[in-house]
Amino acid sequence: METLYKHIKGDKAIWLVVLFLAIASTLLVYSSIVTLAYRHHGGNTFFYLLRHGFFVFAGVGIIYLVHRMKYTYFSRLAQLALYASGPLLLITLLFGVTINGAARWLNIPIINQTFQTSDFAKLALMMFLARRISQKQPVINDWTKSTVQIILPIVMVCGLILPADLSTSALVFFSSLVLMFVGGVPKKHLLALIGIGIISLTLVYGVGKAFPGSFDRLDTWISRIENFGEGDSKGNYQIEQSKIAAATGGFTGKGPGNSTQRHFLPHPYSDFIFAIVLEEYGLIGGLGMLLLYLILFFRCVKIVNTCPKHFGALLVFGISFMLVLQAFINMGVAVDILPVTGQPLPLVSMGGTSIWFTCISMGIILSVSRSLELETENVKSGKNNVVT
Amino acid sequence: MENEKSISKRTYFVYFLMCLFAVSIIGKVGILQFVEGETYREKAQKSTMDYRDIEAVRGNIYAADGSLLATSIPRYEVRFDPVAESITEEIFYGLLDSLALSLNGLFPDKSAQQWKGELENARVDSARYHLIRRRINYTQLKQIKQFPLFRKGRFKGGFMVIQENHRDRPFDLLAARTIGYDRTNSQPVGLEGAYRKELSGVSGKRLMQRLSGNVWKPISDENEIEPEDGCDLVTTIDLNIQDVAEQALLDQLERHKAEHGCVVLMEVATGEVRAIANLKRQEEGSYYESYNYAIGESTEPGSTIKLASYLAAFEDDIIDLEDSVDAGNGKYQFYDKVMLDSKPGGHGKITVEQAFAYSSNIAVARIINENYGRNPQKFVDRWYSMGLNNVLGIEIAGEGKPFIKSANDSTWSGITLPWMSHGYELRQTPLQILTFYNAVANGGKMVKPQFVKEIRKDGHTVRAVETKVLNPSIASRESISKARKMLEAVVEYGTASNLRHADYRIAGKTGTAQIANKDYGYYHGEGLVRSYQASFCGYFPAENPKYSCIVVVNAPSNQVYYGNLVAGPIFKEIADKVYSTRVEIQPEMVASAPESRTPIPVSKNGYRRDLQDIFDFLSIPIEARSYDADWVATATGMEKVELKDANWEENLVPNVVGMDAMDAVYLLENQGLVVRLKGRGTIKNQSISAGRRVLWGEEIVLELS
Repeated sequence: METLYKHIKGDKAIWLVVLFLAIASTLLVYSSIVTLAYRHHGGNTFFYLLRHGFFVFAGVGIIYLVHRMKYTYFSRLAQLALYASGPLLLITLLFGVTINGAARWLNIPIINQTFQTSDFAKLALMMFLARRISQKQPVINDWTKSTVQIILPIVMVCGLILPADLSTSALVFFSSLVLMFVGGVPKKHLLALIGIGIISLTLVYGVGKAFPGSFDRLDTWISRIENFGEGDSKGNYQIEQSKIAAATGGFTGKGPGNSTQRHFLPHPYSDFIFAIVLEEYGLIGGLGMLLLYLILFFRCVKIVNTCPKHFGALLVFGISFMLVLQAFINMGVAVDILPVTGQPLPLVSMGGTSIWFTCISMGIILSVSRSLELETENVKSGKNNVVT
Repeated sequence: MENEKSISKRTYFVYFLMCLFAVSIIGKVGILQFVEGETYREKAQKSTMDYRDIEAVRGNIYAADGSLLATSIPRYEVRFDPVAESITEEIFYGLLDSLALSLNGLFPDKSAQQWKGELENARVDSARYHLIRRRINYTQLKQIKQFPLFRKGRFKGGFMVIQENHRDRPFDLLAARTIGYDRTNSQPVGLEGAYRKELSGVSGKRLMQRLSGNVWKPISDENEIEPEDGCDLVTTIDLNIQDVAEQALLDQLERHKAEHGCVVLMEVATGEVRAIANLKRQEEGSYYESYNYAIGESTEPGSTIKLASYLAAFEDDIIDLEDSVDAGNGKYQFYDKVMLDSKPGGHGKITVEQAFAYSSNIAVARIINENYGRNPQKFVDRWYSMGLNNVLGIEIAGEGKPFIKSANDSTWSGITLPWMSHGYELRQTPLQILTFYNAVANGGKMVKPQFVKEIRKDGHTVRAVETKVLNPSIASRESISKARKMLEAVVEYGTASNLRHADYRIAGKTGTAQIANKDYGYYHGEGLVRSYQASFCGYFPAENPKYSCIVVVNAPSNQVYYGNLVAGPIFKEIADKVYSTRVEIQPEMVASAPESRTPIPVSKNGYRRDLQDIFDFLSIPIEARSYDADWVATATGMEKVELKDANWEENLVPNVVGMDAMDAVYLLENQGLVVRLKGRGTIKNQSISAGRRVLWGEEIVLELS
């Protein structure tokens, strides 16, 4: 334990949050895959538990490995990753594995594991933005020298994600916007960017309306957005079941494994896992999960504000904000304050490789945190000159 | 850094916004739980749990020999969800052609192209509950489950099956109306209706939880009420006699293009109905069981009722068999109406027995009118005491009411009595007439016609139906014996002499009535052809009656309308069949005619080792093609017997034609089939052809001769 503790560096609160979320994830997924297990594995829930357990366990390993890396390497990596993500997204869009009419998945040939390229791309983009915004600090107020340079990768990534996955595209776009805001990009430029976003969305919406059926997903979004807050539709069936889960859970919940709504919710193990939290663990459980993410974000904001370097600060902020925002969007959908989207709850929802990308994000945050700790230690022991 | 402070400010600003987001989420949870909670909790109750009916299995209806007359068999409705989650464009269009081809193979009424179009449209329309086919049987279901796409099941292949129980009559038309039906939204008919309570059982209830869609899972065993399966009904119907009766009736009806007809055969001592057939001509000329005439149609019976007239006269000691009666010249005036006898010129002076045998209307009318004319109610009361005015009270709904006019009736006139005496101005159903004749055959004891022997459950008798005596003695022993003598005379030298038979004697009475049915009056068809009801009612063997039977054929349109010519042959055909197959009447002779022309006795096919032992013992040379098969077919030649291998694949029905019953039963039952034997000797035919796949538990019928 002593030795293990020695090896684990970085913010301990964040490590604890990861630990709690991993435990919660295992419990929730095990409870909610019953229907899925019946459909595909003759009721063998253990199969899914093992698979999910493997992903979570390996994920923690990934966090550990990544957090031991020097975070300045990520600046260089970010560049490579971003250049790679463009072609990857394009390939996915054209040849990817289609699930529910959305080509979001790419099969990694040798290990035969599908992964969502947007998971990779959004992380790459955040890292790259942190790098670019920090580089452009001296000319941050210049439109052509700075803002345009920052906007271009955003437009590329969001544009390539958009056809298959509106919500992720919006999430990435909004996170980029907030990162730019924090990074000091002038507000006028941000407004212009918002304008671009709105115009492109309207364009896509117009295409969908004008040529219904040309893009499966387009019809889905249009109906979802149009139906949000309205009467009955398939999306509202999901929402109603989710609301029933919240209402029947009560203050303390039905207890682990006692969900009944898992049989009605279409994706109780991912998109609607927060409904299962509310049903089995009640208001208390929901509040606890919310607080875990708030604590995570708070610790990250702390890191941002102690980090002497722009890159490190923006890196932590961009990644953590996107992660927590995604979590809140997932929860917001489950309680019907947002329209139905397919965002999983980071670190909690079942979903193989997506967990790993979240773990890489956590690893990067902890890596920054670790180097901060190292610096303060060095300052204390007077070795400051060695580093600089 | 210049803007370090402002970065900090901006990050905390964003953090503050995220906190607001968090508060709004938790606030909404609170609203869902405490403000809107009740409505959603109610919805949860409704949608997730419910008491579901568990349908009880309806009991079977059996013939007396245990053959199934009606049973519930599962039928399946197959539906398809072409837009099920897992069916992508590639999967759908990749498998569409082969699926359409397979469907066309099983349901050729639509071409593969039509099937393809139908499925394609269903997908385009997102018809998530598209009907493929209703009422398919289990074998078809097993096949369809193997079709491309469908074999992936409910979630991956969009394949849905709904089971329903369908009532099936394995012998279709046989006694169809008497077996009847019990359907929703229509009046139950026949035994299905009469015993619906016993047959249908009690459906159970079970608290179930919905899993997904329409899949329900029981919550626990404690909450449920077990369904109680229905009882089985063992009827008195004899399948073989029923078959003969139905066929004989059909042949005769077709020959005479009759409107409708019925046959009832009853066991004398018990009143058990062995056969009951009713056929009605359909528009296109075929015949169908659409109404139970034997039970429901109450008409003027005609001459068959003369038996009751004479019986009354015997009881009051007015006449005797040898008394002579003047039937005159064939015409007799009663008040304003002339009565005719069918024989031109009349019968003249004849005995009472002859009067009955020749069916003279004038004779019976004069006897009754002259003796009861002053006190007609006395005659009517005689008939009442014989039970002719009572319904039989059978369990099948819709029995026609008999009608015997009372002398106090306002429509009673001077000609009522003479006309009543030979079967007019009164109404009886065929079954009521039969019951009366049966009483005469039974020594005066009138028993109630009985359709059901017992009610069984799980092979145990729940209730046995006892013979019910309606009237222990309708007349004195002497009167009955006189009546029976007259009935025998009818066949011996009277109107039904065409029914005389060498092996056994039939006793009975012909009847030919002009039809006064509200549907077609006294005239039928084009308006000129007279319409008649020809009947024959009697029993056999005459000396020791075992069975009574009535045949009624209505409105024969040909000129042949006399009871003996239309109804008689049907009676005879049925009687012959019953007589030849009933051991209790006449022991059956065993025919034995080996046709072998070779010096070597003919051998059946069978087990090689046994056959070889026998041939060795008899020193018969054998020639075998090979020695690896356990079972062989034999070919008997002039000098030797040739053995040919008769092997078959595991799970395929073997060829047992030419074997004896013992070997065949051994072989077939080992393969999992249930064997039923018909006849004796060597197997000539097997109901499931050799080489077909064995369905475990299926019945195979072997015909031997």
